[in-house]
Amino acid sequence: MTGVSGGAGAPRLLQVAGLSAGYSGEDVVHDVSLHVDEGEAVTVIGSNGAGKSTLFRAIMSLVTPSSGTVTFDGNDVTTTATHRITRMGLAYVPAERHLFGDMSVAENLLLGSYPRRPDPERLAMVYDVFPRLAERRNQHARTMSGGEQQMLAVGRALMSKPKLLMLDEPTTGLSPLLATEAYRALAELKAGGLTIVVAEQQVPLALELAQRGYVLENGRFTLEGTTDELADDPEVQRAYLGVA
Amino acid sequence: MATSTGTSKPADSAGLIAVNGPVETFGPIVVAVALLALLPLWFSDSGSMMGVITEGVVFGSYVIAFNIIFGSTGQLFLCIGALAGLGGFGSAILADRVDLPMIVAMVVAAAMAGLVGGVLSWVSVKRGLDTIFIGIVTLAFSLSFENFVLGRRDLTGGETGTFVDAGSDTVLRDRVPSYYVFLALLAVFLVLFRLLQRSRIGWAFRALRDDQLAAELSGVDVAWHRIFAGVVGSTMLGFTGALVAHSGRGFVGPSTFAFGEVDVRVLVMLALGGIGTLLGPVLGSALITMIDELLIDYAQLRLVFYGVILIALFLRFRHGLIPALTGFARRLLRRSD
Amino acid sequence: MISALMDGVVLGLQYGLLGVGLTLIYGLAGVINLAHGQVAVMGAIVVSLAMEADVPAVPAILIGLAAAAVFMLLVDATLMRAVYRQEGESRILLGLLIMLGVGFVIDGVLEWRYPIQQLGLRIGGEPIPILGVPMSTGSLLATAVTVVIGLVLVVFFRSTALGRGVRSVIQDEQGAMLVGIDPARVRTFVFGLSGLLAALVAVTRAMTGPVGVSSTISFTILALIVAVVGGLGSVSGAFAAGVLLGVVDRLSSFYIGTYVTTIILLLCAAITIVARPAGLFGRSH
Repeated sequence: MTGVSGGAGAPRLLQVAGLSAGYSGEDVVHDVSLHVDEGEAVTVIGSNGAGKSTLFRAIMSLVTPSSGTVTFDGNDVTTTATHRITRMGLAYVPAERHLFGDMSVAENLLLGSYPRRPDPERLAMVYDVFPRLAERRNQHARTMSGGEQQMLAVGRALMSKPKLLMLDEPTTGLSPLLATEAYRALAELKAGGLTIVVAEQQVPLALELAQRGYVLENGRFTLEGTTDELADDPEVQRAYLGVA
Repeated sequence: MATSTGTSKPADSAGLIAVNGPVETFGPIVVAVALLALLPLWFSDSGSMMGVITEGVVFGSYVIAFNIIFGSTGQLFLCIGALAGLGGFGSAILADRVDLPMIVAMVVAAAMAGLVGGVLSWVSVKRGLDTIFIGIVTLAFSLSFENFVLGRRDLTGGETGTFVDAGSDTVLRDRVPSYYVFLALLAVFLVLFRLLQRSRIGWAFRALRDDQLAAELSGVDVAWHRIFAGVVGSTMLGFTGALVAHSGRGFVGPSTFAFGEVDVRVLVMLALGGIGTLLGPVLGSALITMIDELLIDYAQLRLVFYGVILIALFLRFRHGLIPALTGFARRLLRRSD
Repeated sequence: MISALMDGVVLGLQYGLLGVGLTLIYGLAGVINLAHGQVAVMGAIVVSLAMEADVPAVPAILIGLAAAAVFMLLVDATLMRAVYRQEGESRILLGLLIMLGVGFVIDGVLEWRYPIQQLGLRIGGEPIPILGVPMSTGSLLATAVTVVIGLVLVVFFRSTALGRGVRSVIQDEQGAMLVGIDPARVRTFVFGLSGLLAALVAVTRAMTGPVGVSSTISFTILALIVAVVGGLGSVSGAFAAGVLLGVVDRLSSFYIGTYVTTIILLLCAAITIVARPAGLFGRSH
C-alpha cells in the first residue's frame, strides 16, 4: 500500500451524509455531505468560524448531530461514543490537541495505544517520523513548544494504528517554517498509505497535500473537487490563496 | 408541573414583583407570622412543646439569614452554627465577663459575626473561589470554632457548656414571652428579606445568581453585593445566636451551635422550603421541626431522614418542589387579598 | 521528638491513603465525597460483624473492603447519574450535597443499628524498637500495609494501562476519549477503588485503636483536608500532604495540645485554598 491515491476502486472509509450539528439547539453546520476513500488525503478548507471544528466534532460524536448520518468503515457511527469511534480506527487530532500535560511524552504515546499494549514497531515509526519526540520522551507535554506539542498530538493519534487520521488545523500557533515541517510529516504518512482528512486555514499547504477538497463557508459546502480544480477556482484564489 | 426555567432564579416571584402594593409585599409575612403567633394557644401549657416551637422559630431566623448568603449570592457558607455561636458565646462573654449591658453585648457580638462573615466573603471574592472552595474554607472555620469552644474551657465551659447570667432578669427566660421575642425577630428578618428582595440590591442578587458575567457586564458590582450579603446574613446569624444565649435556660454548650446541630438542619430546611424564596425558610423550618418532634424517640433516624430528604430533594424535586412552593406562596398571597 | 516524628509519618501515610480516595473521585467526577469517612467506617463495621460471626480476620477484612467498594459502585451507578448530567458549578454543588446526604444516611443507620459496634484488631507481640523508639506491632503492621498499598498504587498509576487511563481522564477527559478511553467506565472503577481504599484505612486504623461510628466525620474531614492541601485531583499530592499533615499533627499535639492541632490542620486547608487553590503540591495555574 505505498502511495495509493484514492481512485474509483478504493473502498469508502468515511461517509458523511446530510449532517447538521451545533450547540444548544442552534446548528453551526448545515446539511453537509462528504466522503473519504481509503488511501486518500482530503482537505476541508474554510475561514475561522466556518464550522470546520464543529463538523469534525460531530463526526467524532463530541457534538450530537441534529440530523444526518456518519458511516465509518461500513458501520453507522452517528451516535457511537467517541472512545468507540477512536478504537474503530478513526483518530482525531483536535486543534486544541488535548494532550495530557502533566504526563511525559512517552506516557502520552503509550496512552495512544489504549487499551492495547503499545506496539514497539509503531512506537519506533512515530519516533522516526518525529525525532524530536524521541529526544524529549521524558519531558512533560506541558513544557514543550507548540510545534512539539502538535507532533506529540499526531504521534499519540498514530499509536492507535488508525485507518483514518483526522486533523483540525494542525498548524495552529505554528510558525510558517514549523507549519511546512508539519505538512512534510503528513505527506510522509500519506506516502506510507495512511488516509488523512485535514481541516485547514493555511490553504496552500493543505491543497498541496490533498487530492480532493471541500470548501466550507458559513456551515455549508460551497465547492468541492480535486485540489487542482480548487486551486484554479477564482473564488478560492481570491479568498484563500491571496491571489488578487 | 411548573416550567423549570424559574427554578434557577432565586426569589422565583416574578409574578410577585410585578405588583408592588404594601399588601402584596408584606401580606405573606403578616399571614405567616399571625399563624405562628397563634401556636402558644395550644402549647403554652407544655414546657417542652414551647421549647420545640421556639427552637423552630429560631431556626427559621437562621434559615432566612443563610438564605440571604446562599440563596441570593450562591456563597455556600458552611459555618452557620459557628457564626451564630460567635454571636452567642461572644455576647455571653461580653455581658458576663466584660460587664457590658446585655443589649450592647448582643450588638457587638452580632457585629463581630458580621465582620467574620464579611471577611470570609471578601477573601472568597478576592481569590475568586467557587462554591466548593467557599464551602471547604467555611467548613474549616466551622470546625475550628467548634474545637475552640471545646478547648477554651475557661471562656466557654468546654464540653459541659456554661450558664449565662445576663438576661436572667428579663422576659427572655419565660417560656411564652421569649417565644414572642423570637417570633418578632423572625418577623423583622422576613421584612428585611422582603425589602432587600424588592430593592435594587435584590435585583442585583437575581442578576448575579442568574448569570454572573452578564450581571457584571450590565454594571452590577458582583464583589460588593456578595460581601454585602455575607455581612448582612452573618450579622443576622450572630444576633440570633446572641439572643439564643441569653434566653431560655440561659445555657450555651458545644452542641448549641455545632455544625451537626445547626448547619445540617438549616441546609435541609432551606432545601425543603425553597432556596431563595421568602417563606421557604419558615415552611422548611416548620416542617423539619414537626418531623423532628415526630421522630423524637428515634433520634438516630433523624439523620437518616435528613439524608434522604437532601438526596430526594436535589435528585428528584429540584425542579418541582420549589416552584410548587412559590405557587403555594402565591395562593397564600391571593387569599390575603 | 523522634517518636512524635515517627508517629507522624505512620499517621501521615494513613492520612495520605484516606486523601487519595477522595481526591480521585473529585478528579474524575468533580464530586467531593462528603461520605468518605462514613464509607470507611461502614467497611470496618462490616469487618467486625463478620469477625463476630466467626469469620477469620483476613477473609473478614476482605469482605469489609468489598462491601465498601460495592457500596461506592452502587452510588456511582444510581445517585451519581443525575450529577453527571449536570455541568460546571451546579454539578459540583449537586454532587457535594448528595454525598452529604449519603453520609447522613450511613451515619444515621450506623448510629441506629450499631451505636457501640467497633472494630479493634489487636495484634499481639512485644513492641519492637525502631530507631530507638518502641513501636507496637499493630502500628508496625498498619504502617507496613499502608506502605505496601501505597507502592501498589504508585506502580498501578505509573505502569499499567488502566492506571495511566485514570490519570489521563483526570487531566483531560476529552483527550482521554480521543485515545479510546471510556471516562464513564474509568469513573466507575475509581468509585469502587475509592471505597476499597477508604475501608482499608479504617481497617489499618483499627490495628492501633478501635474504629466505630464516632470516627466517621473526623475521617471525612481529614480526607478533605489532605486532598485540599495536596491539590484536589492529585494522587501524589495527597500522599505528600498526608505525610506532611501527619507530622504536623503529631508534633503540634506533642508540643501544643490536641484542640489546637485540629485547628491547625483545618487552617492548613483553608490557607491552602486561599493562597494556592491548586494545592501545595499541585502545579499552580
